[in-house]
Amino acid sequence: MSNQLSREKLLEAYRLMRTIREFEERLHVEFATGEIPGFVHLYAGEEASAVGTMLHLNDRDYVATTHRGHGHCIAKGVDVHGMMAEIYGRQTGVCKGKGGSMHIADLSKGMLGANGIVGAGGPLVCGAALAAKLKKTGGVGVCFFGDGASNQGTIFESMNLASVWRLPAIFVAENNGYAEATSSTWSVASDNIADRASGFGMPGVIVDGFDFFAVHEALGEAIERARGGGGPTLVEVKLSRYFGHFEGDAQTYRAPGEVQKLRDEKDCLKRFAERVVRAEMLSSDDLVKIDADVKTLIDDSVVKAKAAPLPTEADLLTDVYVSYP
Amino acid sequence: MPVTRIGLACDPQAALDKHNGDNPVASPITVGVIANPASGRDIRRLTTHASVFPTAEKANMVVRLIAGLGALGVDRVLTLRDRTGVAALLLRAIDTHKATGTAERWPEVEFVDLPITDSVADTHTGTAHMVREGVELIAVLGGDGTHRAVAAHCGGVPLLTLSTGTNNAFPDMREATVAGMAGALVASGVVPPDVALTRNKRLVVRCVAGPNRGREEIALVDVCVSRQRFVGARAVSEPSDIESLFLTFAAPDGIGLSSIGGAWAPVERTAPHGLHLTFALHDEDGFAKRDGGPDEIPDGVPIFAPIAPGRIDQVTMRTCERFEPGDWLPIDARRGTLAFDGEREIEIGRDDRYEISLDWSGPLTVDVSRTLRFSASRQLMREMAGASMRALMQAKTHAK
Repeated sequence: MSNQLSREKLLEAYRLMRTIREFEERLHVEFATGEIPGFVHLYAGEEASAVGTMLHLNDRDYVATTHRGHGHCIAKGVDVHGMMAEIYGRQTGVCKGKGGSMHIADLSKGMLGANGIVGAGGPLVCGAALAAKLKKTGGVGVCFFGDGASNQGTIFESMNLASVWRLPAIFVAENNGYAEATSSTWSVASDNIADRASGFGMPGVIVDGFDFFAVHEALGEAIERARGGGGPTLVEVKLSRYFGHFEGDAQTYRAPGEVQKLRDEKDCLKRFAERVVRAEMLSSDDLVKIDADVKTLIDDSVVKAKAAPLPTEADLLTDVYVSYP
Repeated sequence: MPVTRIGLACDPQAALDKHNGDNPVASPITVGVIANPASGRDIRRLTTHASVFPTAEKANMVVRLIAGLGALGVDRVLTLRDRTGVAALLLRAIDTHKATGTAERWPEVEFVDLPITDSVADTHTGTAHMVREGVELIAVLGGDGTHRAVAAHCGGVPLLTLSTGTNNAFPDMREATVAGMAGALVASGVVPPDVALTRNKRLVVRCVAGPNRGREEIALVDVCVSRQRFVGARAVSEPSDIESLFLTFAAPDGIGLSSIGGAWAPVERTAPHGLHLTFALHDEDGFAKRDGGPDEIPDGVPIFAPIAPGRIDQVTMRTCERFEPGDWLPIDARRGTLAFDGEREIEIGRDDRYEISLDWSGPLTVDVSRTLRFSASRQLMREMAGASMRALMQAKTHAK
């Protein structure tokens, strides 16, 4: 397949990655004020994975993500104002303020939801992919999961089912090196998560998650293969997060200077910017303008979220049960 | 040059004495082993029908290799640590070998204490370290890319090549035990270098203008000017991406980009020249673009070639010329990427100017077939078996 990216696609890629970064960096600051309820798990540093994947998708494609799901939601097109309000627990949130950070969902965008249960996305995506196959929509299902979830039975069962039924499903293992505080070198028995693919009769590849272009190319192949009836693929994206497992995590399990080194040497946004400017496909002015636009967007989303009303007692039982006719 | 490093190289009898322990002043015969833990896992598992090369099989290959090395006299092996399991599995096999008291002679294996970066830098630093340690040769388990990485830092130390990668034109696909035996015969000097070793060609690309000025890269098989703007997932899998190709050799039964040259104008590894090919742009259906409409005769020759495992693709070749050693040819590209031995590595900027040259400064490699034929012609295996039996009898007598 052709992997040549147009100027418009590159602009979109940068805007989405910058939006995720700004969103997460701002939440890091805002969470410390104590105004945000619950937990947040930030995706900063991993933007290339979500955006490199999602640029190949549209609203007929379904995505299930993890507790670290803000980036996937933004890249899939979920409204940023609605997400910020949801994280603040406000009525204007995409789930009316009752889901919070770990349950952001928007079915109109094909976002099946962030999920507080580790490894729960696999079965959901198998269902979505089966529906797409039976209805012949041409859609695919993408399951994001981490190195911790890679050891869960739900993920194994889902990969097996997807392969047996030849589902248009893509399993994206975002291996950021830590399941909470446990290094994947201790907890993942196989040498690479991707190596497990052969046991399920599907291809497995490893891709550099700090490189948008590498992710975009590999996921493009996997998604095209799924759409064409070729069945599921496991893609292991090797990357790292800039913040703790959750906000407030002291990260004593990381080496001193580890994150700063990542920011200095492996920042996917910096790498992207350097390369597109050097290739003269985008200009520095293009990127600066996007940076400014995104900052305004995130500022506005925080202001509006804080000003929005909280759910009322009357909202407690709404949207909880489905009444079938 | 290995001729001077292998002290007894030109005297098989003296080398046999050394092998048999009759020369007490000889230093231990040491061989380096580099098994790339990352080879055989790139995007070609998805874009082609290439298989995953499991870590366990790489470790098994190393075990079989060192069995061959040890049996014919190598005393010491230096190898690299890794985080993906090759070293761990090797360690387990060594422990098992010691615990079972097997009579097979294995060399002492030392794991080099170098930082692990999980990148090609591990191969570069590991190779340089082994060269400093004075290894007689380096056995390499990997694909064309791994061999290229070792070749960039091995200097005059010969390579024993074993294929574990994807599109492998450079390394041999053969049983590691046999390769180990040949490697031992070369490392110990029993088979002289002028018989055992082959000098290889290489392609050198240098940047002569632009921000990367001064950068220099080598390739052992091919340099491809790709139309892809970014390095991305590295592999060159699409025929429409290939703008031009420089080859050191082109085997008609090869796999990968060099097979295109092999299908049209085969070039032996020993031939004094290489090849330079250019290709027409393809449309979305894989046909050469015709600006004058569908009735226009396409500008070039259509060729089928196995550019990847399970992928026989059509390319439209515009030109094919001999590429002579010594000339520096400007690479005519203002955009795109440069791929070395099948992997995109350099993104070309507008101001960048690159030149390419072919020379005979590629690595020395062990010709396993020729080495073992020489051994058979001199009955070296019989000599060694006899010496081994005599040593065993002496030991038993001494014990009584």
